[in-house]
Amino acid sequence: MHLSTTATTYKPATRAQKKGGRWRTNRMQEALAGYAFVLPAFLALLIFLIAPIVAAFVLVFMRYDVLSPPTWVGLENVRALFNDQRMLLMYWNTLRFVFFTTLINNMLGLLLAMGVNRAMHPVFKYLLRTALFFPVLTTAASLALVWNFLLTQDRGVVNYLLQQVGLEPVPWLSSTTWSMVSVVMFDVWRACGYLMVIYLSGLQGIPEVLYEAAEIDGANQWQSMRYITLPLITPAAFFAVIISLIGAAQVFDNVWVLTNGGPGDATRLIVLYIYEVGFKRFEMGYAAALSLTLFVVLIVLTIIQFRISRRWVHYD
Amino acid sequence: MSHPTVPQTGLGRRQISRRDMLRLSAMTTAGALLAACAPAAPAAPGQTSQAGGAEATQAKVKVVATTSMPITQWDAAMQRVVDQLPNIDLTLTQTDISQGGWAGYSDNIVTLIAGGEQLDVIMIAIEGLGLLTGKQILTPLDDFLAADTAAKEVLEQDVHPTLRAMLQVDGKQMEYPFSWNNMVTYYNTKIFADKGVTPPGPDWTWDEFLDTCLQIADVQGGADDLFAYSFWGNSAFGMSAWYFNNDTSALTEDWKASNLQDPKVAETLQFLADLILKHRVSPNPQGWDEGAQFNAGHLAMRTCGRWCIASSLTEEFTDYDLQYQPHKSGPIKTVAGTDGWGVASGSKNPAQAWEVVKFLSNTEASIDMVKSGGNIPALRSVAEMPIFTEYGPANTAIFYGSLDAAKTVPSPTNFNIIDPILNRHYQTIWNGEKSVEEALAAADAELQVEMDKLQ
Repeated sequence: MHLSTTATTYKPATRAQKKGGRWRTNRMQEALAGYAFVLPAFLALLIFLIAPIVAAFVLVFMRYDVLSPPTWVGLENVRALFNDQRMLLMYWNTLRFVFFTTLINNMLGLLLAMGVNRAMHPVFKYLLRTALFFPVLTTAASLALVWNFLLTQDRGVVNYLLQQVGLEPVPWLSSTTWSMVSVVMFDVWRACGYLMVIYLSGLQGIPEVLYEAAEIDGANQWQSMRYITLPLITPAAFFAVIISLIGAAQVFDNVWVLTNGGPGDATRLIVLYIYEVGFKRFEMGYAAALSLTLFVVLIVLTIIQFRISRRWVHYD
Repeated sequence: MSHPTVPQTGLGRRQISRRDMLRLSAMTTAGALLAACAPAAPAAPGQTSQAGGAEATQAKVKVVATTSMPITQWDAAMQRVVDQLPNIDLTLTQTDISQGGWAGYSDNIVTLIAGGEQLDVIMIAIEGLGLLTGKQILTPLDDFLAADTAAKEVLEQDVHPTLRAMLQVDGKQMEYPFSWNNMVTYYNTKIFADKGVTPPGPDWTWDEFLDTCLQIADVQGGADDLFAYSFWGNSAFGMSAWYFNNDTSALTEDWKASNLQDPKVAETLQFLADLILKHRVSPNPQGWDEGAQFNAGHLAMRTCGRWCIASSLTEEFTDYDLQYQPHKSGPIKTVAGTDGWGVASGSKNPAQAWEVVKFLSNTEASIDMVKSGGNIPALRSVAEMPIFTEYGPANTAIFYGSLDAAKTVPSPTNFNIIDPILNRHYQTIWNGEKSVEEALAAADAELQVEMDKLQ
């Protein structure tokens, strides 16, 4: 308290003065400063995340072609969902894509992490880790050019090599069956390096003494992995599965640049379909309705994941 | 001494609760949403209001063009505008056309404008003109032409009526024609000579074409594979080159309905599918880099417009010549499409934008385009210059010479929607997943739904 304040003649403080005054001003300033600090991040969140989400919910009930003012159409877009046969196909494609990429990415990510985590020369370890992570840093567009060059049916490098060993050429990008395989391969090659890093951090967090104790007790390598490694990396695995699953359900660029959803609709995933409805057909209302279905699907999947995780994720 | 009582009003004196903060945020969100959904107010034609009023010395004009067509002449043309029209502050934005063609390009323009981009001069081809006109993105040029007799005279005297008509909607000139394209057969003269195959004549038939393919193709799955022919199987323009020479089309003559049930459509598709799947003389167009393979001598024939000369000029590849497309039935036709420059209805400086349109369509710009191996110039005077035949193989004259037999590529208002539908179903034919009949039945059902929306 300042001296000037102590010099004033005492008078019984009113209720307002007790709660207010300088003390209150300080609290107010603190509050203002706090809000000012979080304001930029909050505005960004508001403009780029919350506003589009709110807009998407509102647009479900609108017809909007991006240039004309939106008009209210009630549940027309929701009703259209039930007659959209292509949407079911897109979800079937997405389901297959998500299942295979999540499964393979996590298995391969874990295997690579265990490989990199083994005792080896630090330089070799560094190079290996960098090489495996490098595709994560490269843009899908440039990678797709290379993969197109490799996988083209006629005069593609992979088919040339297959034919050199007496095998038939594979229509990697032009067959309905093989194009999905190609897209999954492309995604795994791009994403497994990232998951490797997550699993690697989980592995490196396991205390070495546990393995030493197990060894003294006579545990073999398989038992050490079964009873020490796997249980203790379950938090990392849970995180990796959740983000790879959600990431796979939202994949756009890989498919856009490699097959553009083709041939036919063979590799058209739900996000690509939503984009095309919104920004090719300019049916923003229906695109919002489709987005809503994806939102619900992802929420349900995540809740299921969390429920199941109680059985297999160990935080102790 | 007591503190003076100050009314605690205003933001600075009140404690802000979380509720206030959320309320403020909600208002901001609502404001942002309203602003985002509100359409931009278009300027009236002739209006030249410049932000800043009399203080501004230069009128801002923004041009949108494709990334690849008509290729490299932009820099020179833009520089001429900058040099000769000092009152204009010119900027250029380019939009990708490589993926999605003109349909994707016109989608991008709509999205740019919806996103608040201020565009003044817009390049578009007939395939995207319907979409932009339907959304009132372009302003008719008739008032500008009425006030500019020189430009009008050039348009009427030096631009073929077919090209002018392609860029008109309801009798109004929506774009000033700059260039156009048709589709002809490019063939490798060295391969033909090495194989002892007679080069095609101007009236060759599909049977003669198939015989030629069977004589040339040598596909064993090795590095020395030689494909006889490759076609543009995922575009309305590429497919119309074949449909028109069998007297049919994917759409009816008025572009109002699907024509996929026409037996001649199935006949055309079966002929092309057999080239890939039965005779093995053509590759699947999906993912195939036709231009590179042709210039490298791994492909004997392809169908393309004049723009394909560009890569041959760059790579100094000269062992090729041109011929009309092979013919099956009906009158001989060549598919054609025109592109041009238009003034955006939202332009704040339409008068200056019109000046830029004229610069980008003039003789110098057209000559630049010819030299770069780009499209066929809309100006007949340039197409008849010796330079036009100098930049191209021996038979280059057929590019402009075919104009009297030109038929416009089907370009309804919903071209951006129907083109992807057709291409999606074509792919299932080329890869053998579906028979021609199955693919056409599926495509027809989907296409007709979209065409009905235009009624």
